[in-house]
Amino acid sequence: MPQLNTTTWPTIITPMLLALFLITQLKLLNSHLHPPTPPKFTKPKLHAKPWGPKWTKVYLPHSLPPQY
Amino acid sequence: MNESLFTPFITPTVLGLPAAVLVILFPPLLIPTSKHFINNRLIIIQQWLIRLILKQMMTTHNAKGRTWSLMLTSLIIFIASTNLLGLLPYSFTPTTQLSMNLAMAIPLWASTVAMGLRFKAKITLTHLLPQGTPTPLIPMLIIIETVSLFIQPLALAVRLTANITAGHLLMYLIGSSALAMLAINLPLTLITLTILTLLTILETAIALIQAYVFTLLVSLYLHDNS
Repeated sequence: MPQLNTTTWPTIITPMLLALFLITQLKLLNSHLHPPTPPKFTKPKLHAKPWGPKWTKVYLPHSLPPQY
Repeated sequence: MNESLFTPFITPTVLGLPAAVLVILFPPLLIPTSKHFINNRLIIIQQWLIRLILKQMMTTHNAKGRTWSLMLTSLIIFIASTNLLGLLPYSFTPTTQLSMNLAMAIPLWASTVAMGLRFKAKITLTHLLPQGTPTPLIPMLIIIETVSLFIQPLALAVRLTANITAGHLLMYLIGSSALAMLAINLPLTLITLTILTLLTILETAIALIQAYVFTLLVSLYLHDNS
């Protein structure tokens, strides 16, 4: 039976040790298994204050690029 | 036609160089790693499988047993991918080699026993005697239990080797007989049906992997948690 030919045993055992104990484990360690996200609690929204600081675009006719 | 029945199980060499090294190192290439949050379908499916395996295997262990989760997950993935790739025609299955299975079984089993002896020496030793045995039977039973303990790694290795080898041999024999009967033109459907069912039954190579890891798990569990 060719499985009992012990001269090839180190040839098989060494890459097995590499593949199992090194490569597969490094792969598993480096693959981030992201867990499903837990439900997020949003903060209660404040009503919009018209005087609050926010960005407003000022339409100045002379500041706009010429539109054709 | 092959020279003998066991030619597929010879360690493959190409011009004197060991191709077995490449064959053994190939299956991890099929499992891409990704650090992204959103991946493609292949990676999503594989990561889902890994998470499922991890959950199924590790819930029955306590904290100390769960330190083995990386080892056991990589073990089941390695054996599963290797066995499944061996189902392709003309491929070499490394798990048919007794050398590899022994090299997997003996260190893992020995480390579980060592762990049990190191942390729970008394409990591990008392496992050698089942409860409620009559006093005259005690010496004989201790010997029997010790023998059954030492036969665990051998059984693990030989079980995997023999099952995969026998499956491959059977597929080869039935396939070659079907080919031979083609000229005689016997009902072909019966033969192809046999091969098909045998292949699907042989996909219990996966069950074998389960068997491997689960028996390993059982021994770890017993030694660790009692």
